[in-house]
Amino acid sequence: MPIVIQPYREEHQPAVQEFNRRLQSGGAELDLIFFRFAQPRWLPPAEGAKLYQRYFVALENGVVRGGYALKQQDFFFADGITRTVAYYHHPLSEGIVNKSYAAVGSMLLKDAMNRSPLLYCLGMGGYDRPLPKMLARLGWAHFLVPFYFHVARPNRFFKEMQALHTSPSRRLLLNLAAFTGTGWAGVKTIQGLRKLRAPKLTPFTVEKIEDFSDWVDPLWEQAKNHYAMTAVRDCQTLRTLYPASDTHFTRLRVRRSGRDIGWAVVGERRKDEKYGAMRVGSIVDCWASPDDALPVMQAASAALVDNGVDLIVSNQSHRLWARALEHAGFLHSPSNFIFAAGKKLSALLQPFAETQSRIHFTRADGDGLPRNF
Amino acid sequence: MTSSILDQVRSIASDLFGVPVDRIVAESSPEMIEAWDSTQHLNFVLALEEKFGLQLSPEEMEQMRNVGEAARLVETKLQKASR
Repeated sequence: MPIVIQPYREEHQPAVQEFNRRLQSGGAELDLIFFRFAQPRWLPPAEGAKLYQRYFVALENGVVRGGYALKQQDFFFADGITRTVAYYHHPLSEGIVNKSYAAVGSMLLKDAMNRSPLLYCLGMGGYDRPLPKMLARLGWAHFLVPFYFHVARPNRFFKEMQALHTSPSRRLLLNLAAFTGTGWAGVKTIQGLRKLRAPKLTPFTVEKIEDFSDWVDPLWEQAKNHYAMTAVRDCQTLRTLYPASDTHFTRLRVRRSGRDIGWAVVGERRKDEKYGAMRVGSIVDCWASPDDALPVMQAASAALVDNGVDLIVSNQSHRLWARALEHAGFLHSPSNFIFAAGKKLSALLQPFAETQSRIHFTRADGDGLPRNF
Repeated sequence: MTSSILDQVRSIASDLFGVPVDRIVAESSPEMIEAWDSTQHLNFVLALEEKFGLQLSPEEMEQMRNVGEAARLVETKLQKASR
């Protein structure tokens, strides 16, 4: 029976549950679960919406053999044109547990390419995972979006950071560092030295706001030409991504001499076992002219420290935003957050090796909002 | 099927799968060519699209079980497009 790919509808939900059950009983990783409901909870399609998600399923005689999601969004490019681009995410194939369905993964991607020729993937967990391996073989352009962290409470960091506790002796050393305060002194010194390299800033003000409003539109218009590619970040988009009803985000308005220079959205991440019991804050999103990135990063970082987080994380692709993080005392760490652009999208970003450092991607451009940023 | 389309498809398959063109026949399939896995199958489909200026669906992609079937599908699509 041939496999057909269709939009995921409510009537497919029982078959999706069966698909998930087969993946799990076949030994797939626990997080490899397709969406239980046909209607996306986050960014559902709506009349006239430019930012929305759609789900698709691969069906074989009514049995679900795979599925994927597309997030459609407008992006602004260096040539001054705004284009609709889709983010391909959560592709799942029965091929994970049953080799006779090995072709489903390629079919899903082909379906997405037909629906949205300008396609990208983000995150993916590192180059050792099947999807980035496949994209590389298909000739997609790709790079790692740099990852930065700032330790707000070094003692908690040394005690809780599970990735550092790789052996009993390391655990002992790290606990000792936490207990004696040597860890605290070391981290504060390294982070402090980074801040010393920062340029002197003209004073700026930061205001916590309940919702985004019209003031962000001129800011979007003024700064967008500095980027080779960026998701549209106008008022309508921000209100869709960060509605006022979503109270676990903190929205920051940054001004200098009474003039708006940028904004940031920060929030506390949900618990993740790799961070132990630490409270982890994320700089979810940000916007400014790249020259004004530093005050925005400082504001974002300070807001999270005020909120009591132990550790702050951020992924920033644009080199000047990354530099701003360094000047705000952040440390660089290996990233597993990959940006990969399909051939038609990467053709708009040539020469890619040069352009990639002027692309603006943050955690907000992934699939994780609002829970997994 | 016209020999010209089959020859062009054979040539694409040869380049993609790293097999001399004289060893690619209409019956050549993923079972016979080691490098022809599911990702290379997608590359093959994309190369055919580019060469012949057409778009293939995932369902058509699944129907292409060998080089001959791929050439036949391309020919049918080109004929439909020219009508």
